[in-house]
Amino acid sequence: MNHENGTTAGPVAEIRDLRVEIDGRAVVDGVSLAALPGRVTALVGASGSGKTTTGLALLGEYPPGARVTGDVRLSADGPAGYIPQHPATVLNPARRVRALLTDIARTQVGHLPPGRRRSAARERVLRALAEAQLPDAAPLLRRYPHQLSGGQQQRVVLAQALLLGARVIVADEPTTGQDALTKSRIVDQLAAVAARGIAVVLLSHDPDVVRALADEVIVMRSGRVVESGPAPDAWRAVQAGRTREPLVDQPPFPQADGSTGTVRPVLRIRDLTARHHDGARGTTVVLRAPRLNLHPGESLAVVGRSGSGKTTLARCLAGLHRDQDGRILLDGTPLPPSLRNRGRAHLAAVQYVFQDARAAFDEHRPVLHQVARTAVRLRGTDADTATREALTTLASLGLPEDLVRRHPGRCSGGELQRAALARALLARPRVLICDEITSGLDPITRRGILDLLTSLVRDRGGLSLVLITHDLDTAARADRIAVLDGGELVEHGPAERVLTTPQHPFTVSLVEAAARLTARTGT
Amino acid sequence: MSGLRSFVARRLLLGVAQTAAVVLLVFALTEMLPGDAAVALAGDQPDPARIEAIREALRLDRPAVERLADWAAGLPHGDFGTSLASGRPVARYIADGFGPTLLLASLTVALLVPLGFGLGVLAARHEGRLLDRLVSSVTLAVYAVPEFALGVLLVTVLALRLGWLPPTAVGYGTDLLGHPAALVLPVLVLLARPVCSLVRLVRAGMIDALASPYVAQARRYGVSGARVRYTHALPNALAPAAQQLARTIDWLLCGVIVVEALYVIPGLGTVLLNAVAERDVPVVQGLAVVFGVLTVVLNLAADLVARRLAPRSGVAA
Amino acid sequence: MTRLRTGRFALGVAVVAVPLLLALLGPLFAGEPGPRGASFTLGDGHWLGTDFVGRDVWQQVLHGGRPVVLTALAATALAYLVALPLALLSALTHRRWLEELLMRPLDVLLAVPSLLLILLAATVFSPGAVGLALLVAAVNVPDAARLVRAAATEAAARPAVEALRMQGETWWRIAVGYVGRSMLRTLAADAGTRLTGVLYLVATAAFLGVGVAPDAADWAVMVDRNRTGLFVQPWAVVVPALLIVGLTMGANLLFDAALERTGKETRP
Repeated sequence: MNHENGTTAGPVAEIRDLRVEIDGRAVVDGVSLAALPGRVTALVGASGSGKTTTGLALLGEYPPGARVTGDVRLSADGPAGYIPQHPATVLNPARRVRALLTDIARTQVGHLPPGRRRSAARERVLRALAEAQLPDAAPLLRRYPHQLSGGQQQRVVLAQALLLGARVIVADEPTTGQDALTKSRIVDQLAAVAARGIAVVLLSHDPDVVRALADEVIVMRSGRVVESGPAPDAWRAVQAGRTREPLVDQPPFPQADGSTGTVRPVLRIRDLTARHHDGARGTTVVLRAPRLNLHPGESLAVVGRSGSGKTTLARCLAGLHRDQDGRILLDGTPLPPSLRNRGRAHLAAVQYVFQDARAAFDEHRPVLHQVARTAVRLRGTDADTATREALTTLASLGLPEDLVRRHPGRCSGGELQRAALARALLARPRVLICDEITSGLDPITRRGILDLLTSLVRDRGGLSLVLITHDLDTAARADRIAVLDGGELVEHGPAERVLTTPQHPFTVSLVEAAARLTARTGT
Repeated sequence: MSGLRSFVARRLLLGVAQTAAVVLLVFALTEMLPGDAAVALAGDQPDPARIEAIREALRLDRPAVERLADWAAGLPHGDFGTSLASGRPVARYIADGFGPTLLLASLTVALLVPLGFGLGVLAARHEGRLLDRLVSSVTLAVYAVPEFALGVLLVTVLALRLGWLPPTAVGYGTDLLGHPAALVLPVLVLLARPVCSLVRLVRAGMIDALASPYVAQARRYGVSGARVRYTHALPNALAPAAQQLARTIDWLLCGVIVVEALYVIPGLGTVLLNAVAERDVPVVQGLAVVFGVLTVVLNLAADLVARRLAPRSGVAA
Repeated sequence: MTRLRTGRFALGVAVVAVPLLLALLGPLFAGEPGPRGASFTLGDGHWLGTDFVGRDVWQQVLHGGRPVVLTALAATALAYLVALPLALLSALTHRRWLEELLMRPLDVLLAVPSLLLILLAATVFSPGAVGLALLVAAVNVPDAARLVRAAATEAAARPAVEALRMQGETWWRIAVGYVGRSMLRTLAADAGTRLTGVLYLVATAAFLGVGVAPDAADWAVMVDRNRTGLFVQPWAVVVPALLIVGLTMGANLLFDAALERTGKETRP
């Protein structure tokens, strides 16, 4: 970030030729890194590339049973700060925010006379919170971590690091699974940290954030550094395809043929309201969608932040959310709100693919058997035909026979997600609902799945796609976009129109946040 | 905070329902007596006078609902009815037995908490090492052993073979405090099961908490070891243990009955067993209500403590 | 740790073997009861002396394990027989009133101390061995149902169940084929701890005279009735007490070790 003041000072933390071996296998091999004050060093790579092991080495932590050679040196006094992917995990659930921060402040005020320690500690706590962009935090101090929002939790964790006087902070995947607005906030925050002269080591596979923040980029694959250097150069190398991955842009889905106005919609939503049971407090309305159409061969992206009701919308369509009013019409005939009341034909017509593919398979049965059951139950084919059909479909999605005869426990997340798609496709659905199916995957796998969806829409004439996502890049592949905020359908229209000339203030802020991320490219 | 308040309200409601259920259940027993209750209770020699007396005492001539209402209305005032065997008020029985039982129970709980938590934390700190293996194995082994079997074995060895302690409390009456040696064996036996269960829970909770990311973060940031253990890890380990403490009240109650019988201590347990043997229904009912309500209240308290310690986890209400 | 577990397993087997074999096979070797002798004597052809009514203690020991073990097994099985369908039904129904109707009364019952309930019932009914098994089973139902239901509810809420519904699978295939299957391990673990708990309760109730004849050949009854002669003839008390300790202690060690072992094996 701060090119002018960063170059002269020496590194506050340095790794030289680090090699970490577990059971004789090197998970990190020959990695060197220098964290300079006020600069952001990004360690980029897919999961399993060794970036987390390298980052934790800066904290002096290694996986159990690891053999470590090489040099890890912190020149600054005091330990390194750490911001994990899920801040809530490092905040003790049984202690109030005040106690969590005062414990650290207490280690800093030991030199003062005992009488003054208390007030000095409190003062430091409040200052650190203000520096972490939590001003007027006094009421916050009385809360428990679970009573804070995700953003507040992350700031409290940051305040802990600032309180410690850390000269280097390791941030582990801080934006994974977040929407554009949250991402943009986190980027601002890390930029502000670097602006204080603190060295930031960013572990990420999120291209937007890396582009926006990094001064130095180190690309890792299978424990080795494949590319490193100042951001623009390393970036160019990545763009030129020399490193092949993992930061790549995405082609759009094929467009639906013809104008959507003339064809009869396959799915129509009229005055849909969905509620959640909320324990003793009764019910709250979590979704209101007055009118939404889906045409054959069309792909519709539903975007929004977490908690905006987009998953509820998907589950209403699939019949997995029972507490709903209004009508969902399939080819003009109403669909029963609950799956339990839908007949075979209805079940087959609208299929749903879950976010967590591993959890959506029975771990005790082979994948192939579970995929084939769709054809048996929903289309009445006999078991042999169903198995043959399943094998063909699975193979067309890139899953060979020996793989799908295994149990789910022995397949990767990406493979299971493909199998889940196959399971849904075997019903020959008219509408395929994909609920954040790529959000748990690394960029290469995600790219593969999205490409697969692209070819599905192209090859299977008339298949319509509902794509639930928090990621505007993914949404940009669709024909149309519907935007949800706080359970309200605030805007919908052609993808290009929504992304270029958004109308609702929320959409504007969402698009702007995404644009800001892209604009921050470290050139 | 409103979450906590509604939790307390719901939990209190359940407590009230449980108390009502205990009272109803206890009352329903006499109704379940086969045939004529008075004849059934009179025993092997159905003497007409005795049957009449029982009929009188239980007011069997009046409808059940009316009797229930009367009996339940008397409970809050300490009016539990009169004994069939002696004609004395049940409240007197309870008052007589209360002292020794309270002494036993409070001594046990007073030792149980420090012992259970202390040993649990100790074992967790030495996880996998000799001390931990010793503590875990012994607690696991003793945990399931019935008090009476353990009790007679301890009496045989410590009292009869070695002669260190008196074998029973016979002859001391209710003045147990004056003879502390007589209390050692009963308290030891009473402690055995709850301590084992508590140690195991605290140990497991501590090991989990010490391995958690938030403890790793506290250590990383230089918070001292003792502080991490006692202010960061222990509260998280306490929540399940506090609930277990409530569950062990059930055991303590079973234990009290057995231990009093074993060491001939004239407490509530002995009163209850005698009444059961004599089929003295009003006394059994009175004691059951006292024990039942006590359990309900203690369970309630423990759930509230657990909720305070683990504010996030919804304690099952 | 693996060595420790194996050690514990072996220890459990060793400790439980003697009382269990005695309990199951003892009656086959006991033979005809001899003539009664004097109370609480030692020697005189009686290997372990005589008991409070002058019977041979060894013969009583051979007979006395079976009621404890069989009653406990029957009570555990009975408790699940009631708890399982109750819990599965309430976990898989989407009718809230049915769920409340099935589970709320059990919540209320949970508060009543188990031994108290048994003693209360004993005041009125004077139950026999079958009655005792029924009573012990009854006091175990609320807790078992709660546990099974928690496991079933967790399994039923998984996306895998929704995926099965999405495929149009039948209720039975979902309930038994998936939910039931997923619960097996929790169930096995609970059955182990429950059986030790039931053993405890059955023995204690027998010691207090519930469900047994006053002169029954039952280890717990032997401990109770022969206590009066503890000074003269300790074997009549010590041997059955040791056998009960071995049975409960060994069972607990065994189940714990078995549980950790299966937990290790099935983890990927």
